Amino acid sequence: MSDTAVVTEEVQEVKAEMVPVYIMGKRYDVPNSLTIMKAMEYAGYQYIRGAGCRGGVCGACATVYRLPGDYHIRVGLACQTVVEPNMYLTQIPFFPANRAVYDWENIKGEAEEVFQAYPELFRCLACNACTKVCPMDVPVMDYVAAIKRGDLEKAAELSFDCIQCGLCATRCMAEMAQYHIAQMVRRINGKFIAPHSEHCHKQVEAIKSGYYTDKIKEVMELGTVDPFDDSTKTDKIDKLIELYKARETEPHTAVEDWKPESDFALLK
Amino acid sequence: MKIGYYPGCTLKTKAKNLEDAAIKSMAALGYEMVELDRWNCCGAVYSLADDDLVHFLAPVRDLIRAHDQGFDKVVTLCSMCYNTLARANLLMRDDEVKRDALNDFMEEENDYKGEVEVVHLLNFIRDEIGWDKLRDAVKVPLEGLNFAPYYGCTLTRPEEVGIDSPKDPVVFQAFIEAIGGNIVDFPASQTCCGSYQIISNPEAAKATTLEILTSASDAKADALVLSCPLCEYNIGRRQDEIIKGNDKLENLPTFYFTQLLAIALGLPIEDLKLELNTNSTKAFLEQKGLPALA
Amino acid sequence: MPYPDSLKQLIKKVEETRPERIVKKKAGEEFPALSLDDRGKVLQAFHPDVKEEGRRAIEIGPNKGYRIANEMVDLLEAKSRVNPEDVDLSNVDYETDVLVIGGGGAGTAAALLAQEQGAKVIIATKLRHGDANTMMAEGGIQAATKGWKDSPYYHYLDVMGGGHFTNKPELVETLTNEAPDVIRWLLEMGCNFSKYPDGILKTMHGGGTSRKRMHYAADITGAEMMRTVRDESRNRPDDITVIEFSPAVELILNDKGHCAGAVLYNMETAEYVVVKAKSVVMATGGSGRLHVQNFMTTNHYGATGDGIVIAYRAGVPICFLHTIQYHPTGVIFPEQAEGILITEKFRGAGANLVNVEGNQFVFEREPRDIEAACIIKECVNVNKGVPTPSGKFGIWLDSPMLDAMFGEGYVKKEFPGKHILFSRFGIDIGLEPMLIYPTLHYQNGGLEFQADSTTKIPGLFIAGEVGGGTHGENRLMGNSLLDIMVYGRISGENAGKYALNGAQDGDLSLEHVAKYNAEIEAADIDGSRIAPMLLPDYTLEHVKEKQLTANYEGTMR
Ligand SMILES: Cc1cc2nc3c(=O)[nH]c(=O)nc-3n(C[C@H](O)[C@H](O)[C@H](O)COP(=O)(O)OP(=O)(O)OC[C@H]3O[C@@H](n4cnc5c(N)ncnc54)[C@H](O)[C@@H]3O)c2cc1C
Ligand code: SF4
Ligand code: SF4
Ligand code: FES
Repeated sequence: MSDTAVVTEEVQEVKAEMVPVYIMGKRYDVPNSLTIMKAMEYAGYQYIRGAGCRGGVCGACATVYRLPGDYHIRVGLACQTVVEPNMYLTQIPFFPANRAVYDWENIKGEAEEVFQAYPELFRCLACNACTKVCPMDVPVMDYVAAIKRGDLEKAAELSFDCIQCGLCATRCMAEMAQYHIAQMVRRINGKFIAPHSEHCHKQVEAIKSGYYTDKIKEVMELGTVDPFDDSTKTDKIDKLIELYKARETEPHTAVEDWKPESDFALLK
Repeated sequence: MKIGYYPGCTLKTKAKNLEDAAIKSMAALGYEMVELDRWNCCGAVYSLADDDLVHFLAPVRDLIRAHDQGFDKVVTLCSMCYNTLARANLLMRDDEVKRDALNDFMEEENDYKGEVEVVHLLNFIRDEIGWDKLRDAVKVPLEGLNFAPYYGCTLTRPEEVGIDSPKDPVVFQAFIEAIGGNIVDFPASQTCCGSYQIISNPEAAKATTLEILTSASDAKADALVLSCPLCEYNIGRRQDEIIKGNDKLENLPTFYFTQLLAIALGLPIEDLKLELNTNSTKAFLEQKGLPALA
Repeated sequence: MPYPDSLKQLIKKVEETRPERIVKKKAGEEFPALSLDDRGKVLQAFHPDVKEEGRRAIEIGPNKGYRIANEMVDLLEAKSRVNPEDVDLSNVDYETDVLVIGGGGAGTAAALLAQEQGAKVIIATKLRHGDANTMMAEGGIQAATKGWKDSPYYHYLDVMGGGHFTNKPELVETLTNEAPDVIRWLLEMGCNFSKYPDGILKTMHGGGTSRKRMHYAADITGAEMMRTVRDESRNRPDDITVIEFSPAVELILNDKGHCAGAVLYNMETAEYVVVKAKSVVMATGGSGRLHVQNFMTTNHYGATGDGIVIAYRAGVPICFLHTIQYHPTGVIFPEQAEGILITEKFRGAGANLVNVEGNQFVFEREPRDIEAACIIKECVNVNKGVPTPSGKFGIWLDSPMLDAMFGEGYVKKEFPGKHILFSRFGIDIGLEPMLIYPTLHYQNGGLEFQADSTTKIPGLFIAGEVGGGTHGENRLMGNSLLDIMVYGRISGENAGKYALNGAQDGDLSLEHVAKYNAEIEAADIDGSRIAPMLLPDYTLEHVKEKQLTANYEGTMR
């Protein structure tokens, strides 16, 4: 194999231009092509807090920064945001937030239940600081507004990309933790508002009733191959491979109610 | 024709009957009420503190949304929303210093200086449709029924934003007349229902509500007509509790004006969302055989 | 970092061949899939797993003689982080019914089910609860929920075929039978899987599937599942306690040889704490951060194979670790996003892979190992890779053809996460293709366990990516999210029941650790290494040179 495969996470011999960044106020010179996360590591930090997925989905690495001469607060995910010269930054690895405990089994799926769990919703003044600070461009104020007016479906949709980094809660005048409220709302949406998936329940029933058991037992009987023991490649395995090859593949462009030619091992 | 429409939170939950009846009725009159794409709570209580700009953020933002969406008018139904939006709009028109501060603070939005006009649906009907036209559109005139129009405090005060003169308002009466009902004038038609005091001072709220109910029934009203979910809560939903032990008073049905409009236009009963009204209101309609020809 | 001109020129070649490729696709004419024989050949020649200098035989422990990746052997042949004699086992810091090690999807599902049996549960996890590979999964979760065209039978066949028929049949049977119930369970917990208006769950193909059975929640399926189960665990604070930033560094056995807890390391205060438990669920996930053969990885920061190391020491055998899954499509340009996964759903939806000339060279829905080997071959052997500005080679993944086939905006709507990611770099993947290369993705093998999640050690249960056998030598996309929920639930239920009914108390012991350390010495292995790794070390040489007094315990200081 050639070198193309060899690509590590570590910063390699970097020929990139060096730029100053101020990590919690202190200057370090780092290559300008790095993300904030890699730049902090380049500078000599070792992460315990503040790094999770390193792929922009876990919300562990919320970062706040400013540029000189500009009063705006800027934000980004350290693992996704490329450094800018002279940025001064800090990560906010944790921010205390109120999360209501609710009894899911007894939730009926009404907006009123969200209001009861989170009365602080009604303290929202529409200052929009939350939306401005969200690194995922989630319209936070709008989903809060949607919840207040009981439109949970809309709120679930608007908040879907939230990675629960907590930055909105750091800025909220109404002192709420928007993302926890949105989480409750999305769950209500998933269970109560989204249309019911009958076919899934049917299949669960069929399996529980033993509808497929014999057929599966038959293929299980054919056994398995031990990769380190060629003697396990028996006739039975050939039969298994035959079955595998013969299985019909649903065409790519097939419509939802496509049916295979053979109805073997299917619900009738 | 499309008109920009700001619903307000309560109309999406507890006062769906105020909203649905309006949308359907306006459709019957040839107007599509287009709900703003984005909106938040109106901010509800207007702040009394002079320099408290924070409370203007919500209503001004709603006005900006309406403007961004290309509307020069935004219609609303709830008296409280109307009041809040209209006063915020006034401030944005008249107070340059505060306007700049608010625009500066909301720098992510387009600047706004009161371009949009905030209109209560009653005024919209009066000015854009006209009473005559409305009268022509009525299929089921509400003849023989005595309706007491209740303005409360937020529709007419302060005067600069009132939908009519606070001294002698007539628009509500004209509306009732146009849909065929009898107007019942009663002294307490502009008395505050107690609104938010219900939480801090429930006794006081109860007293004012009692006054309103007494005044209306003394004037021989068959029903009260409202335009505000908060008033409906105090006067309608809590009515049983309030008149308990008072044998002079009988239950007084309460309607949103939009519901009467819908009945008069002959819309199907589902459009009224009557399940959200009080039992006495439902019973009243049944007794009168309304909506009769629906 | 938008595409530089050199790449923009090359994109023109992709655009030239696109209309014809779309016509073929619409006519149902796919690029021919490889025969099983040819699959074998390309794997033998080009898959990183077969590179002999990349692996060696383990010299100690239950699988002595087993040849697996050097990086994993280094950890298995390492001493404990803490001298077992220094740990005061008579001083128990936490006592619980069930200890779940690892707060990812498998661990959290286990905690919920254990709690439902009536057990008190502690989840000990390395980073924050939910900082895990589960959170990162995008593509989807397989389950044969559509009885009119699919069943556990076909799912079973697909899983076996994907795994080269080496999978353990009982594990596969349980996996495929339980699948629809897992979807039902998640739906009832409020998980937002994508649906049609009539309630039918949206499903698509993945590599190696015969029926469209990949369920998804937009392109953040794992995150949606993770945040749902995590949220529910937070609703049970009286029974489920989460201890964050405290990875397990050793299992504790008792004098009967049963599993009885773990030693945790508080990474923030450097304290070691003792948790006594009646049963333990091991759910520490995968090991991409070992960077086998220096490959980039899609895995989260804490994926360092700890569970394998500490359970192996306690005597649990490993299996199928001789294969590692390289995801065929990791980002290779722009460099800032390097290693980040491009979900297989793009290929599932029909996006072609094309070389520098704009030509197809592989069917886009081969199983992952085959697809990866073919990409490596195209770049390394056929020399038709696309050169990146930093001197590497990649292959085009033609996302714009999806917009062309399904309507403008399709990519943006179906893959919002990836669309945003690339747009931050000035690339619109609805209009321009993506440059990809295989990346270290999934630990196919792991600890041996049974279909009821039990192991050789009574009281120790296994769930999720840390286990081996379900997927044999190669996992199909969408079967891991399924795996972690199926075995997360089973392990939780059984660990809970065992804790309340079957567990036997005994004196706590770390003797197995002392013995293992001694074995290392006896085998004359370099004794300077310690494990588990806990976190990878990304400190650079220029820093290390100046860290004159820094004290590194393994990778951590
Ligand atoms: C980018 C990406 C995309 C993927 N896409 C898909 C997909 O579309 N479909 C699919 O089916 N699968 C997919 N997978 C695979 C799948 O997500 C994982 O295999 C699965 O989620 C693993 O779940 P788990 O609970 O076993 O491990 P994890 O979710 O990784 O959880 C393990 C947890 O244990 C913690 N931990 C580690 N060591 C210790 C220790 N010593 N002590 C305590 N805690 C510890 C970890 O930090 C982590 O929180 C994907 C994986 C990745 C990385
Ligand atoms: S909504 Fe709040 S918690 Fe969610 S991503 Fe945005 S800022 Fe973070
Ligand atoms: S920050 Fe808080 S108060 Fe401001 S708009 Fe957002 S939710 Fe409302
Ligand atoms: S580390 Fe997870 S979002 Fe950055």
